[in-house]
Amino acid sequence: MLQYTIRRLIGMIPIIFLISVVVFTLAKLMPGDALSGKIDPLNSDPEYIEEMREQMGLNDPIPVQYVRWMSGVVQGDFGDSFVHKRPVMELIGDRLPNTIILGISALLITYLLAFLMGRYSGRFAYSIGDYLISAFNYLALAIPSFVAALVAIYVFAINLGWVPASGSIGSGVEAGTLEYYLSKAKHTVLPAIVLGAMATAAYTQFLRNDMIESSRKDYVRTARAKGTKESAIYNKHILRNSIIPIVTLLGFDIANLFGGAIITETIFTYPGIGYLFVESVNSRDYSVMMAIAMMLTILTLIGNLVADLLYGLVDPRIRLS
Amino acid sequence: MEPSISQQTSPGLAEPVKPPKSQSPWALARRKFLRNKAAMISLVFLLLVCVMSILAEPLTMPVEETAKINLTQMSKEPSADHYFGTDKSGRDVFARTLHGGKTSLLLAFSITLAVITIGTLVGATAGYFGGWVDNALMRFTDFMMNFPFLLFVIVLKSIFIESSTGTLIFVISVLSWTGTARLVRSKVMAEKENEYIMSAVSIGCSAPKTIFKHLLPNVMSTIIVQATITLAAMIVAETGLSFLGFGVPINIPTWGNMLQEARSPDVLTSKWWIWIPPAAILTFTILSINFIGEGLKDAFNPKSNR
Repeated sequence: MLQYTIRRLIGMIPIIFLISVVVFTLAKLMPGDALSGKIDPLNSDPEYIEEMREQMGLNDPIPVQYVRWMSGVVQGDFGDSFVHKRPVMELIGDRLPNTIILGISALLITYLLAFLMGRYSGRFAYSIGDYLISAFNYLALAIPSFVAALVAIYVFAINLGWVPASGSIGSGVEAGTLEYYLSKAKHTVLPAIVLGAMATAAYTQFLRNDMIESSRKDYVRTARAKGTKESAIYNKHILRNSIIPIVTLLGFDIANLFGGAIITETIFTYPGIGYLFVESVNSRDYSVMMAIAMMLTILTLIGNLVADLLYGLVDPRIRLS
Repeated sequence: MEPSISQQTSPGLAEPVKPPKSQSPWALARRKFLRNKAAMISLVFLLLVCVMSILAEPLTMPVEETAKINLTQMSKEPSADHYFGTDKSGRDVFARTLHGGKTSLLLAFSITLAVITIGTLVGATAGYFGGWVDNALMRFTDFMMNFPFLLFVIVLKSIFIESSTGTLIFVISVLSWTGTARLVRSKVMAEKENEYIMSAVSIGCSAPKTIFKHLLPNVMSTIIVQATITLAAMIVAETGLSFLGFGVPINIPTWGNMLQEARSPDVLTSKWWIWIPPAAILTFTILSINFIGEGLKDAFNPKSNR
């Protein structure tokens, strides 16, 4: 397993290299360059602009610029943001915790809801409750996340006024106080529910079908024949076997969550990575854009690896080699 | 596939007694699909939405009219003049919803067609030839799969600054064919082991002929189901991108562009008629496509006997 992991990680290096070439090329293809944000806006003397271009290396051949960018990236330096006038890593470091909090809350909500709904549906298959749950799942699959977010803001933030509609923290709240954490939680709960509840369908269905299948197996019949209580059969014997395969979906979720955060964060103007990305594309802040694109792509790679590793852990019949 | 089994499971169907004649798999699937209520209602609904969108101009007004700003009719509530009211620029929401449907659905269908074509070609080639062809194509597919979809569509879209809907179709298609390719490859690999393929090859069928004439018709059911899934996903992709401002140019009405108006708190809070209609129709359209997909999957599955 360790050997396999190491081999996979080494195998990622050329892929990451290729991805970096793609990301850099795309950034260079984008119209305009980041110069305008860097120089004195009052000085429009062509000579001055030319000098600044030269100084920043924007006149160098593209491969030279690529090598310069890449050598920074390897050392964890993605350059400076032209709009925010700060190192990109610092900027991302500021925003990343928000996205991680949002992502983890959303994942927890997904797992909790899917576990409860799947367990109920699996045990009481073809009951009214089961049909209601599957109706919810169909709806959750069909509603695009941004429509769900709009409806959620309309109902919970505007009409009921339970939670704020945007931002990640109330104004004038001091960091570190209890008030701060409460405000943060209040701002996170709605986007997290939207992000999390919409993703439950696949898990619920998976758990339900697996439980129904397991309930016909011999070991369940044996347990029944012994006179084990029905609740114990479901909670102990079946659920334990059915819950394991679900874990494998986690790997794919890591990348999906960050991708999905782009839309959700933008709607809630929640200052995370996804919103930062949309901002940076709109303001042509290339260094930030490239950094986020690289990060999320590498995250996808790692997510796939985690998924494969979890498969091996869960099902010993799969040999990782 | 034993046709007699399926006939036994449908005693309710009042058909004249015919001499037992084996039905083709397609006829069986069609009958099973026609009996699926959810799928049939969805199909009727989807057709209705499509027809209304196509007839947007005769039903309401030409598309140029829907773009005209009318200051005397700003933010009017639904009435007999404007069935769904008017938006902040005085444009008729009902007309824009129909025209928007035309653009959104046309885009989604075009992208789906492109995605399914590319995916099927790549998947069938890789699966049929195997060896280094398979290896090269699949490594490339894996590589393309690494790019987070939404992120790279946004990046590509901002490269083509003067972009039309054509570039959007291209950009989304280029990034979305990988799943279909993998699926078709695995199906083709399983299917080509059958003897009829070997006999086709042995009587001298060329590779393209074997693939298109013998292999693909037999994996067609999988491809059709995949196409419905793709269609739903592409409607979401287009509207989501337009909503964020990276999709169809804002002056063309689409469901996503109409929903973009809801990003202003004023519209979201107090002018529900501007954003609820496109949101509702969008959701129900996707829901109906999902049901149709489910129905098709069921109909093509010889083991299911609903």
